Amino acid sequence: MTIITLSHGTAIILFCIGLYTIISKRNLFKTVIGLSLMESSVLLLIVAAGFVQGGRPPILPIEGIAVNPLPHAFTLTAIVIGASDLALALAFVIKLHQRYKTVDLDKIRGLRG
Amino acid sequence: MSALFYSFVCFFLILTALVASEIKDILSAVISLSVFSVLLAIAFVALQAPDVALTQAVISSGLITSLFLVAYSQTQKEGRRENDEE
Amino acid sequence: MSKSCFLRIVTFLLCLALGWQFWKGILALEPTQIIIGPAAHYIESAAEETGATNIVAAILFDYRALDTLGEASVIYTSVCGIAMLFAKSKFKISSTGLSFIVKRGVSFIIPFLLLYAAGIVLMGHISPGGGFQGGAVFATATILFCIVYGSGFEAVMIKPKTKELIESSGALMFVLIGFVGLWTGAGFLANIAAGYPKGEVGRFLSGGSIPLLNIAVGMKVSAGLSTIFYSMIKLLEFEVTKHPGVKNK
Repeated sequence: MTIITLSHGTAIILFCIGLYTIISKRNLFKTVIGLSLMESSVLLLIVAAGFVQGGRPPILPIEGIAVNPLPHAFTLTAIVIGASDLALALAFVIKLHQRYKTVDLDKIRGLRG
Repeated sequence: MSALFYSFVCFFLILTALVASEIKDILSAVISLSVFSVLLAIAFVALQAPDVALTQAVISSGLITSLFLVAYSQTQKEGRRENDEE
Repeated sequence: MSKSCFLRIVTFLLCLALGWQFWKGILALEPTQIIIGPAAHYIESAAEETGATNIVAAILFDYRALDTLGEASVIYTSVCGIAMLFAKSKFKISSTGLSFIVKRGVSFIIPFLLLYAAGIVLMGHISPGGGFQGGAVFATATILFCIVYGSGFEAVMIKPKTKELIESSGALMFVLIGFVGLWTGAGFLANIAAGYPKGEVGRFLSGGSIPLLNIAVGMKVSAGLSTIFYSMIKLLEFEVTKHPGVKNK
């Protein structure tokens, strides 16, 4: 019971930190870092939602109860997809730097084209 | 895994996330994000999810950190000669 | 106080309010103590129906295999996008890598790294692991190779065309394994009902089509992630002389 509540609370706090980083930081790398934080918080929430107190990993043979294996499958997919779109976001940051010679968002908006 | 150990892991998760978000130097932020990924893998082990912990440790703190560092070093090249196929 | 400081405080308070609403919503969920629904069916009958011991691998590659095909497509699209963004840049000079001691030391380690990656991929239906994890470890080995020996040397050893070939054939293998199910009338990506041998539960040769799908996904993920890294690093220039193995394009 306590582990699940701790996980939910941590996931919500991490989500809010990530959202704050995306909105209010000027450096483009901070935006990508904030995106990564938000994705990780959701993964923690999903895996903690399938936790059963006193459960064992879902690998046979199981002694006792097993935790819910469905969130693990979703989380594996989500980790790999998150890594792909982080790579694409970093490629965009490199291209933006090549075009505008800076990674500062205020200067990029001011220099418009 | 007791609740005390898990609360330590959660506290350090929040701490490294705050450091990654607020610090001015980008390299320090990237290293802090890598530490965050490893701590998240430990949290997944505490939640009895070995598949997810293995994936998180390999992908997030191996590949994503190296991609960040490559992107960071690509954006530090102002003033040097650029490629002429641009 | 200045305008930007005021806006930051407003943003911070709005994020706190959002977090408070999330907390109220999550408190309304009750934690589950017994597992009901499809997850209970998967835990009970994964061994008889699929022959795999790793229930998560059985879900990913047998019960919900279409989602894994979608995820492989997402990786493919991302690799295509990144390769397209950096398509016109060719590297002219690449570094010669790190010092001699590091090169000799890493050359002892790399065969064990590749063996470890192959082990994770092939034993995905028995122990934690599978195609995604093994493919990522293989891509990490390629990245290590690129850092220690220089990106020019790595491009000569494993050409980009070879990586494209491996990735595309991994995707095609996945779809062809699914078509066998359509051909025998059991449905796309069916496992035991399509005629794949089930074997004994817990042995290496078991699980029907799950090891084959693991290999296909491992090929695709490793080649894709390695192509991503190579596309992004090939712009870096160093002042040292050309690597002797690289033709100056």
